Amino acid sequence: MTDARAHAAYYESEAALRLVDQELDQLRDSTDPAATVVELPLILERANQQIHTVLAHLRDVREARQRTACGTLQYTHERIQAVTVATEDAATDILDACDRARHIVDALDAIDAAEPVDLGKAKALRATLRDELFRMTGALQFQDITAQQLAHASTVLMDMEARLTDLATLFSTTLSVAALPASSGAVPEAMTYDPNATTRNAEARQHLADEIFTSAKAPAA
Amino acid sequence: MKFLVVDDSATLRRIVINSLQRIGFDATVEAGDGLEALARFDSSVGFIITDWNMPNMTGTEFTKALRLRPDGRQVPVLMVTTRSAKEDILIAMAAGVSNFIVKPFTPQVLKEKIDALLPAAAA
Repeated sequence: MTDARAHAAYYESEAALRLVDQELDQLRDSTDPAATVVELPLILERANQQIHTVLAHLRDVREARQRTACGTLQYTHERIQAVTVATEDAATDILDACDRARHIVDALDAIDAAEPVDLGKAKALRATLRDELFRMTGALQFQDITAQQLAHASTVLMDMEARLTDLATLFSTTLSVAALPASSGAVPEAMTYDPNATTRNAEARQHLADEIFTSAKAPAA
Repeated sequence: MKFLVVDDSATLRRIVINSLQRIGFDATVEAGDGLEALARFDSSVGFIITDWNMPNMTGTEFTKALRLRPDGRQVPVLMVTTRSAKEDILIAMAAGVSNFIVKPFTPQVLKEKIDALLPAAAA
């Protein structure tokens, strides 16, 4: 159920309650007690039907809110899971590079200890070591990507908080927005993050981007 | 040639600058968003590497504004971003971006794109 349908359900519930109220008013204002007694079962039957309608609407609204909340939480969970995966991938890449770098340092030590020192091999190993160090630096790109994933998850949660606040105030005659705890942070600006940011399939996505860029730049045949 | 590196992530700026140094480009200037980049851009900048999603002014807005400046029409702009949907790439192209790199990138890809655009930068 969309927000528009939820609002329609609220409106219909209110309208049904007004009808019940109207029936009761008629009952109170009746000048003929005998006629009232005759009509009473019918009035109560109509009131009963209206109350059932209200309850059905309220059930719809509750289910809709539950579905929205569950969907939002599931989505946020997936985004946070993506952060976990990206962090673990980066940590694994860095640790692998560290392991390889350590073996290279050991190999350089062995070259130093040997006679004569193989300068050519040492030079090649140092170049490989630089590559490994550089690979570690590159793996740190996960920080930028996970920051965007978290910014998006934060936005979704803050939107849900606002909706729940609306709901809480709607169903309470005594609760005011001012009485609710204030949100702890500012909503990240939408322009500062990509909601679909991911560390996955970079090579395939680059290939696709190259294809689109090339075909869009090529003059029409 | 001087590179202008624009990204709101200090980590990413550092990674891009390290990558540039690794492939032989030492002269760089940094900016944290499009507005700062516009302020920092001058005729000494021969190549721009920019992110898309940034506060105050995005990479595409920056590129559009740059292309309106007489001294910014020809300078190559390489966009490095997590965005890779077709519509995003077309928006970037329409803004005046010269080429596109998807994050996370490798130094090899960065080098290839820079090499491909350098003749344009030299022209």
